[in-house]
Amino acid sequence: MVKYTLRRLIQAIPTFFGITILSYLLMTAAPGGPVGALAFGPKVTPQQRERVAAQLGVNDPWPLQYARWLIGDDWMRFDKDGDGVANEPGDRLGILRGDFGRSFLQRRPVWDLIVERIPATLELGLASLIIGLVLGIPVGVLAAVRKGGWFDTSTRILAVVFNAIPVFWLGLILILLFGSILPNWLNQLNPTVFPSTSPILPMGGRCPTDLLSGCPPLHERLNFMILPTFVLATGFIAVYSRFMRASMLDVFSQDYMRTARSKGLSTGQVWFKHGARNALIPIATFLGPTITGLLSGAAITETIFSWPGLGRMAVGSVVSLDYPVVMAVVILSSVATIFGFILSDILYALIDPRIRFG
Amino acid sequence: MNRLFRYGVFAAALALIVALVVPLAAQEVTPGEGGIIIEGNFGGDPATFNPLLASDTSSARVAGFMFPAWIGVNPETAVHEPGRPDALVTDWTISEDGLTYTFTLRDDWTWNDGTPMTSADIMYSWEAIASGVVETSLSYQVDLIDSVTAPDANTIVVTFKAAACTNLTEASYWSPVPAHVLPAFDELNDADFNLNPTVTGGVFNFGEFRAGEQVSLIANQTYGGASEGVLPTGYIYKVVPDQTVLIEQFIAGETNVVDGPAVARRTDLLADSNVQAYQFPGNSWDYLALNYADPANPQNATDDAGNPIDQGNHPIFGDVRVRRAIALGIDVESMIEGAVFGFGTRMPSTTIPASWAFDEDLAPIPFDTEAAAALLDEAGWIDDDNDPSTPRVAQGAMYAADGTPFQFTLYTNEGNSRRGAIGTIVQDQLRQLGIVVDFQAIDFNTLLDIMDAQTFDAFILGWRNGYPDDPDQTSLFTPSGDIVGGGNNNTSYNNPRVNELMEQARTLPGCDPAARAELYHEIQAIMQEDLPYVPLFDTEGMYAARTSVGGFSPFPSQLFWNVDRWTVASS
Repeated sequence: MVKYTLRRLIQAIPTFFGITILSYLLMTAAPGGPVGALAFGPKVTPQQRERVAAQLGVNDPWPLQYARWLIGDDWMRFDKDGDGVANEPGDRLGILRGDFGRSFLQRRPVWDLIVERIPATLELGLASLIIGLVLGIPVGVLAAVRKGGWFDTSTRILAVVFNAIPVFWLGLILILLFGSILPNWLNQLNPTVFPSTSPILPMGGRCPTDLLSGCPPLHERLNFMILPTFVLATGFIAVYSRFMRASMLDVFSQDYMRTARSKGLSTGQVWFKHGARNALIPIATFLGPTITGLLSGAAITETIFSWPGLGRMAVGSVVSLDYPVVMAVVILSSVATIFGFILSDILYALIDPRIRFG
Repeated sequence: MNRLFRYGVFAAALALIVALVVPLAAQEVTPGEGGIIIEGNFGGDPATFNPLLASDTSSARVAGFMFPAWIGVNPETAVHEPGRPDALVTDWTISEDGLTYTFTLRDDWTWNDGTPMTSADIMYSWEAIASGVVETSLSYQVDLIDSVTAPDANTIVVTFKAAACTNLTEASYWSPVPAHVLPAFDELNDADFNLNPTVTGGVFNFGEFRAGEQVSLIANQTYGGASEGVLPTGYIYKVVPDQTVLIEQFIAGETNVVDGPAVARRTDLLADSNVQAYQFPGNSWDYLALNYADPANPQNATDDAGNPIDQGNHPIFGDVRVRRAIALGIDVESMIEGAVFGFGTRMPSTTIPASWAFDEDLAPIPFDTEAAAALLDEAGWIDDDNDPSTPRVAQGAMYAADGTPFQFTLYTNEGNSRRGAIGTIVQDQLRQLGIVVDFQAIDFNTLLDIMDAQTFDAFILGWRNGYPDDPDQTSLFTPSGDIVGGGNNNTSYNNPRVNELMEQARTLPGCDPAARAELYHEIQAIMQEDLPYVPLFDTEGMYAARTSVGGFSPFPSQLFWNVDRWTVASS
């Protein structure tokens, strides 16, 4: 297994570089550039824009920009003090030495920006994934067992609905419902019992809005997680329930299921011990990429719920052409995806006796 | 009986006094206990809290609370004024040649660590700007300013390279910063201070920053600008990246102040009895820019020696009659309804109605399609088939070959619903005149490239004026800004009379506003005829606060001018 894993990791290296080169090329080939967003105004002179472009290094040919991003620019010499002599070394170490660069807009190390947002992204992503698995898998199993029945039909409809509803719409409706409509309606219904029209659930954010309290531990702010987690989990529930149903139906037609029944095992044992366990194996093929993919964040849900995650930051950076942040998110996503697939293959080989490490 | 009566009167009077005074006393708020101001803001995280580096509106908003004003502005008149209680400068003098400004600083203001604020704190700002290594948007000022000196701890002398009425505004962009804790200039861009300003001197001190969520500030009771103390407990800048959620949070009371709510929701806010709203003529305005010069061969207005360069003529818009016809053919009133739900003010020219230089006697260009059609006919753009659905064609037009159809490309930046609506309305209304408009909403950076290259026919964009605003528009409408690759006079407008008037108004000795306004009135009238921009409208500003917020009394573009007197009643 170690040999297999090492071989997969070595194979991933050219994939990684391929992704970075393509991403950098696409990003810099996009029309416009970050200078416009940074230096636009009636007082901004062409010379000033040139200065900003030179500071950011975005006027260099893209291969040079890529090289500086990859291996840094401390091997190059620049005229930093304005004396006309390029004799000062650059201060970037490059991605290969762990330097993700500095955000053009936020003017901070990109790594700091990412580290700040990873907890929020993982928190929301993992919670919704767990909800998706916990609800989706049993629903899929039961739907397969009751194939054609009302439970199967209704969960299939629900899965289509969950897949079809845009998350931004569902998010806004839930915010309105629990933040405004429901509390007002309850208050009008019975002002004695419901004297307040304050939101029943927070209308966004990850932590309470307060002056100096910081962000309390997760268990003290679960109310902030309910709506965004539910919205993000709808997709997982729909996918896992459909996938599990199909997988279970496939397993039901296998010979060993017939054997299990003919041995006189109880229905529960046949369904869950022999059926569900085997039907879960294919889930492993995409659980790996899903878990690592959580790092990419969920841009729309994070935006609607003012959730300070990576997805929101990534979208903002793409719009404003903040190259270092865009590339950092690309790196994070691509590495997570590569590792996700390797993890998935390893898991598959471990849990499916028919597969062997080659 | 008499005594009883006297006692009764005394008791009644006492009761009356108690009834009157006690509620007043109950309303007295101890400084620092006035509640928390929570502003929902669409603008995203501030990039920095250091006013020297702040170039985005979010950073400027938050930094503005933590650092004192340098040159004061009267919020009612929006004009710089000596002796403002909230500014470090008490007075200034200007030399006879208009080049040297001598500022006198207060001697009793301190930073929150007890260190006195002195001229050294201003010198640090200027030297950082001039150093060339600090990432500040004010770096262009090295071309304007000759020297800055500090003869003593309470005096700053600024000598400009040329006399201009914009000089005071330029100097006002600086901010006092605590020089005694700041690093060398080459370390300032990445200094810890930028996101953790431990030493400040404004109305609030730094509290905490939660990326993507909020910035909180705490009342600074040592702030020199609030003689009676700072009433609010603190201020929270809450990031809400979705406009709909921003308004809903405000209506539900999760935030208590909002600046510039979406126009689509303003009617709701005005009707809400829990909301106090203030509308004012805004400082953001949209325009339709029409290229004067040949877009196939863009040239600067002048060469390096200052000699004029032939820029050719735009085949359609090179003729001013066509420009006027387009202005007459656009119904701006219906555009204001359609694009900003009626929350806009027509602009007769390119000066915003809120400006002291605005000419109130100048009527807006009327909507008159008949006059527009007649002008087009006169300019040689003929509707040869009497079918407005097909474009007019050139027949004896000034700069277009006969048979050329009247069609052009109109750009704006994508993602801006207001400008998208404006473009669609322009396209639709000009179609009635037999003009085919290829309207394209494109990426902002791409649009900037096209504007800089001067290869466009027309575009819709806007400007947001500063505060306090100087009406000078030299960079927008004179040859000095007509530079291919980055100048702001990208329509290549050049009218010698306007050039002369702009220069005169910008450098008028004494800078008397009334005298300058006269000159700007003439400029506005000429530009309404020449139309380098077809002026559209400015979007009205709006500030809204929950009724629980006390002290809310904004002026145009000045929401928080008296924030030290604000209180927020707990709900």
